[in-house]
Amino acid sequence: MKKKLRNLLAAALSAVIVCGALAACGGNDESDKGEVDEGGNTIVKIMFHVDSKSAEGVAYKKRVDAFNKAYAEQKIKAAPIFKARSTGASNYETELTNNKTEGTLADIITFDAPNCAAYANSGILYDISNIVPQETQSDFISLNKYNNKLYGLPIQESSAGFYYNKKIFRDAGVDVSAYTVENPWTFEQFEAACEKIKNYCTVAAVDMRIDATKDETAPYLLYPFIYAGGGNFADEIGLNAKGYFDSAATKKGFDFIKGLLDKGYTSKAIGATDFFTGKVGMYLSSGWTIPDIEHKYTEVFKSRDDWGLLPYPQDVAKASATGSWCFGITDNHHPDKSASKELLMWMTTTESAKEITDATGMIPARKSVETDYAKGSPEDVLLSQLKTTGRARPATIAYPTFSTQFNMVIGGIKTGSDLQSLLNTAATELQTEMNKFKK
Amino acid sequence: MWKSTLIILAVFAAVLFGLIVWDVFKSKRTKTRYRVRSSVTSYLMMLPAVILAFFFIMLPILYSLGYAFTDYYLLKPDDIGFIGFDNFKEIWQELTAKGTIYHAIINTLVFVVGVVPLQIGLALGLALFCNRKRRGVKIFKVCFFAPVVISLSVTSYLWLQILSPAKTGLLNSLLSIFGAEPHDWLGDPHTAMPCIIILSAWQGAGYQMLIFLAGLSNVREDLYEAASLDGAGAWKKFTNVTWPGLRSSFVFVTITVFIGACRIMTQPMLMTGYQLHTVTLSYYMYTRGYSDRWVGLSSAVALMMTVVIGAITLIQRRLLREKA
Repeated sequence: MKKKLRNLLAAALSAVIVCGALAACGGNDESDKGEVDEGGNTIVKIMFHVDSKSAEGVAYKKRVDAFNKAYAEQKIKAAPIFKARSTGASNYETELTNNKTEGTLADIITFDAPNCAAYANSGILYDISNIVPQETQSDFISLNKYNNKLYGLPIQESSAGFYYNKKIFRDAGVDVSAYTVENPWTFEQFEAACEKIKNYCTVAAVDMRIDATKDETAPYLLYPFIYAGGGNFADEIGLNAKGYFDSAATKKGFDFIKGLLDKGYTSKAIGATDFFTGKVGMYLSSGWTIPDIEHKYTEVFKSRDDWGLLPYPQDVAKASATGSWCFGITDNHHPDKSASKELLMWMTTTESAKEITDATGMIPARKSVETDYAKGSPEDVLLSQLKTTGRARPATIAYPTFSTQFNMVIGGIKTGSDLQSLLNTAATELQTEMNKFKK
Repeated sequence: MWKSTLIILAVFAAVLFGLIVWDVFKSKRTKTRYRVRSSVTSYLMMLPAVILAFFFIMLPILYSLGYAFTDYYLLKPDDIGFIGFDNFKEIWQELTAKGTIYHAIINTLVFVVGVVPLQIGLALGLALFCNRKRRGVKIFKVCFFAPVVISLSVTSYLWLQILSPAKTGLLNSLLSIFGAEPHDWLGDPHTAMPCIIILSAWQGAGYQMLIFLAGLSNVREDLYEAASLDGAGAWKKFTNVTWPGLRSSFVFVTITVFIGACRIMTQPMLMTGYQLHTVTLSYYMYTRGYSDRWVGLSSAVALMMTVVIGAITLIQRRLLREKA
């Protein structure tokens, strides 16, 4: 009896497992455009790099929901996937790589602008040059191109500048009202301002963020100094670093950063909140800092009369930071990209750009988005920089190595190593990496 | 990928089958039926563990071994080509040019040489302290073991606050009482690695303390009594009774601490980032594999590390065993 009962239980368990497995195997049908659900809708999968509960994630979800409503008749349905990125070996990129291996890439993905070359070269991204109309392309502040082909449309734009404490500047008698994006200050004027304000700062005149070398922060904030000094990191095609990264012109930009440290205008010992508590006169950061100043540090910065944003100083050239995340269609197993195109265009409309940037506080990627930034306001400085002096980070497949080497040069400057030998090592190691892609 | 996995699986199954056949022939049982039954039963009992070991230990090792000779780029998993010893050549060239890997090897050596004796010494000291039969010793045991159960990320963050270069950093504030200027402990190449060594020894010693305590509990009390009767002092008792009794624990602790030290990555990653004065071999391997996406090259570094660590561990075992 016991044996029978045991056999019966085993058989029932097996049946449950088999049924479960079959149910799991069952799913939507496939078409050239994408998966097709039971209702005959073509499913376009779109993968985002943020958490669905974040302000940015909620904004994306709203746009996806609006798309599904608008395209119900055309039977196209967007299915969002949220994979929040992390630092280090990003789990977002791990997911992308796994999906590529398994042949399950989402139809549309978001990606960080510097990864465009590597993703395009690896066949993750699909060439959208002929999908996106020219007039639409020209409405974007920047485009994500590789080998003269379009691979991505930016969601929003970011730039950076020097947040400054107006009280410290007033006390030191430094007038910066003349320094605008159109008429920026020079390296010398920047140093002169630092010299004057340093006695009014308890820690340092300026926080150049040279401590932020553990991730992309330092390369993102500091690379414009190298362009401004007339230098470069690589050639146009991003496959030659020797003669660029280690050139005298590139050294000039790094020398400027080193000089600020040597002269005591900046310091390795600046605390994360020293600018916000009035101990540092200037703070190099991106647009993300605006909400922080306005909502978190109201003791020192009670209103916009207490702080402002100055553009990047210039030398032989004008340059400022650009770049943010973008949308791209993937070169996945769905050859017909018409449904994906509809979703891509929807997610990058003027309306989408406005809704998403309203949630993130960033600059809209499209020029046609009406902005009511007051002349000279921090947002206006960032937008003007993007339109006039913005220069992208080097478009190279070997970008991760560039980023690592940039951080190592800044780290070497902090430890007092010889700058030229640091640049030589960086150029050699980056070149070794680039050579692999020449094969 | 699936094809190669199936081939490996087939080879593995063949080896397993061969072992069963070998076992049947070697069996001392007289009847063939019993020989087969006993061999098959024993191997079937081993099967769950063998399957797990195959998929989670052997397969990754074999793949890593194979990838070391390929140009596997993380974003091109479908386009892996055999390149012979090119990855090893690249490593050698970078090493001779005193590139990042050169610094990674030096830093790893410095860390190993620093942390192994410090951590073992600390663990032994704590174990001897906690082995005394005194009131409140259990509280100390918990305190000493606490860093082990705290995540390395958390302890690294705590130490970042302690070692902050700002005037307000805990250590700098403390030293400023004596008039010392603020110091960038983790940015200075002379102090960064010692700081990481101290943090790592502090974090890991509690675990080894437990192993030593287990070893100490096996040392017979009557040996101490006999030593006392012979007029031995505390030092003589330690060298002649305690230490010989701890020999096997010491061998185990030395080998595990050494292997763990060779693999150091989290602390420099979280505390300084990828910098020449703190980059270690594991960190280099990780960066080349995941950040730069060259899995083939990273596997070559892993292979070299495995060979070197394995060789040193074998030498260590032999030396320590001979002394025993």
